[in-house]
Amino acid sequence: MKIAENIVESIAVIEVEGNIDSKTAPEFEKAAINAIKGQGQVIIDLSKVEFLSSAGLRVLLMIYRQIKAQNGKVVLVGVSEEIQDVMSNTGFINFFIIVATIEEGIESLKQG
Amino acid sequence: MELKTFPAHVDSLDPLRQYVKEISQQAGLDKKATYNLILAIDEIATNIILYGYQNAGLEGIIDVKTEVADNQLKVIFEDDAAPFDPTTRELPDQEDFDLPLDERPIGGLGIYLTINGVSEFKYEYSNNRNRNIFIVDIKSP
Repeated sequence: MKIAENIVESIAVIEVEGNIDSKTAPEFEKAAINAIKGQGQVIIDLSKVEFLSSAGLRVLLMIYRQIKAQNGKVVLVGVSEEIQDVMSNTGFINFFIIVATIEEGIESLKQG
Repeated sequence: MELKTFPAHVDSLDPLRQYVKEISQQAGLDKKATYNLILAIDEIATNIILYGYQNAGLEGIIDVKTEVADNQLKVIFEDDAAPFDPTTRELPDQEDFDLPLDERPIGGLGIYLTINGVSEFKYEYSNNRNRNIFIVDIKSP
């Protein structure tokens, strides 16, 4: 798994590449905590993530809780159909803004 | 029935998913059924590795047996950790899933995904081994 953290137009952007399972989730969690520190909004690009287990869902939940505490929003980019199905079966989907591109994500956060 | 053995370590998760993916594709499962089976086996393998072996200070293996018969793909995990029956865990239900994310309990999610990801999930303990059995119906195209 590869993770890149950036700030784009003062929004934290985390790009993940690879599989998020119980081997890699701790690394994802660490990078995410670091990236969202002091941030009110976050965009997580999952378009290069093929597989996400419950360990990955737990990290998304942790990110959501942190950002929600700042009254912010979490945008997920490029979530595969299979992962979207899992997120909707477990009631996760409604808490995130799901978009196709990072640009769309920035746009939706700017509109508030 | 084919057998392949994996060391009980999180490094095995990726090759284990690859292996089951290939078997699923050979068996003719579609993309969605394949993904859900891979998710199911990943969740149970994680439990066996982390809680069955590692937390108990043990090293060991997971034997993976696969078989296609009667329009069903069967994947069986066998391990030598202490008996653990995932089907006895209390699972989250719709009421939990309707709760806001900041209030909801997170336990049991992996086993929920396992049971919902396959046509049938069974657990047996025999000859001092845990047997986790995943069955997926193969739909004709």
